[in-house]
Amino acid sequence: MDNSGKEKEAMALMAEAEKKVKSSQSFFGSLFGGSSKQEEACDMYARAANMFKMAKNWSAAGNAFSQAALLHLQMQSKHDAATNFIDAGNAFKKADPQEAINCLNRAIEIYTDMGRFTIAAKHHITIAEVYETELVDIDKAIAHYEQAADYYKGEESTSSANKCLLKVATYAAQLEKYQKAIEIYEQVGTNAMDSPLLKYSAKDYFFKAALCHFCVDMLNAKLALQKYEDMFPAFSDSRECKLLKKLLDASEEQNIDAYTDAVKEYDTISRLDQWLTTMLLRIKKTIQEDESDLR
Amino acid sequence: MRSDRKLIQKRSQLTAQAKTAASVLGKRMAYPKSHNPFADDDEEETTASRSRGGFNFDDDPAESRMTEAERRQRHLQQEVMRTAQSAVDSSNRSLGLIYESEKVGTETAEELMRQGEALKRTERMVDNMEQDMRTSQRHINSIKSVWGGLVNYFKAKPEPAKPPQRDQPTGYQANSKLQDALSESKQQEDRYEASHPNLRKLDTSGFGASAASNDTPSNQNGYSKNRHLQAAHEKLDDNLDEMCSGLSRLKNLGLGLQSEIDDQDVSLDSLLNKVDNMDGRISSTNRQLKKL
Repeated sequence: MDNSGKEKEAMALMAEAEKKVKSSQSFFGSLFGGSSKQEEACDMYARAANMFKMAKNWSAAGNAFSQAALLHLQMQSKHDAATNFIDAGNAFKKADPQEAINCLNRAIEIYTDMGRFTIAAKHHITIAEVYETELVDIDKAIAHYEQAADYYKGEESTSSANKCLLKVATYAAQLEKYQKAIEIYEQVGTNAMDSPLLKYSAKDYFFKAALCHFCVDMLNAKLALQKYEDMFPAFSDSRECKLLKKLLDASEEQNIDAYTDAVKEYDTISRLDQWLTTMLLRIKKTIQEDESDLR
Repeated sequence: MRSDRKLIQKRSQLTAQAKTAASVLGKRMAYPKSHNPFADDDEEETTASRSRGGFNFDDDPAESRMTEAERRQRHLQQEVMRTAQSAVDSSNRSLGLIYESEKVGTETAEELMRQGEALKRTERMVDNMEQDMRTSQRHINSIKSVWGGLVNYFKAKPEPAKPPQRDQPTGYQANSKLQDALSESKQQEDRYEASHPNLRKLDTSGFGASAASNDTPSNQNGYSKNRHLQAAHEKLDDNLDEMCSGLSRLKNLGLGLQSEIDDQDVSLDSLLNKVDNMDGRISSTNRQLKKL
């Protein structure tokens, strides 16, 4: 009951706002304080949008916010326009993902124009998440994450940049773009090695990089493992390194059982997640293929 | 340190348990010996004869007593194996938990670093805002009155304040002090471990049990079981070592997190002050603009 009442109110406000805009565009309107009318219209659009939100009519709310943003653009107040586009994007996220992405893209354009790259990067991440979950277009998601990482690097926020790069690497490895993933993991790992807090996660990155090497070629993996051990002595003590050595031995001997046993043993102590299981299965398949080739 | 000590205590407890189990086993082995020295030899013979399918010299009661003893023996051996196996399993589980907490800790560390960077960015921005506010204040003064404009002329130009070079280096310094303290404590720990009597006993006791059981003249089964027992003990020792190192890593991680959080606390406080000042200045500027 309350919600439908709010919706009617919102619709009334929208109509009023549109009237104001039209009147401000007429000759007399522009003479007699057209800009203040436009500002009032903006406010009304915003209020209407909020009421649509309360009524959970997300697409109408998104529309109202976009109208407000367009008006702000006309009035040359870029900040407000961008904020309204962001609000529109958030509202559309729940209803129409494609429209949300459009709004967010426009907001990003405005922000990069103003030189606010951090905020632009944050919204690139939001868009990438939408591509990850709702629209499931992994290539575009990767592109957006990369763009976000570049902006963050430009603003000297290396840890935020690393977060985006890691996502890129995870998806790249899933899509079999191993070279890219290896580069990213090695870079992040080398950075992490030096920091007193981050060095605990460095072994994780080297492990993932070595696995990607493994998917490409076993010899690469061996050389890479050697290199990482030299760079980062603490890596040799870790269980991940021991697992890698066992896997390398098993694949040299073409012994599938040893491979599976080693993986199972590692699993009993720390669970393997989805990404790791996929990569290990791929490596296992390459071993099986080699075996059948030899036969 | 305390956790390591507790670990060492647990280790000694487990080995004490194993020792008592082994000694009980030995007593059971001795049971036929003490009561019937000849039955011992007969026992051997009978086992041998049984395997050969030959005839027994023993009386029935002796035989039944021996089988009863054998049964109890086997039962106890199984008990020992089961205890050892459950100890190994539980140590595996604790090891897994330690690694999980390490993972959570590392993720927290990364998040903290990100937060720290965001805080620094915010502080830089607030400084910029302050600069802008000062310039706008001058402009307002000049607009308000001619006299104000003159005063401005004589007032010193607000210099762009050099953004305080954010103390990445001192942050690192604090942490390296931490590192030194920690490495020292680790050395102490190693010395402590070397001198701890329980740990020295551990080496001999493990082998002691197997030595005692090696003496017993008995079933093949018993011998191999003791080898399993030894393997289980070794696995347990390995796991406990790993747990030790894992816990010390966790401790270092925790201390690092603490120092990072302390640094961020300080910067948060200063940020709070700056933003409060900023707030006051903005409202006063607004009031002045309204009066214009």
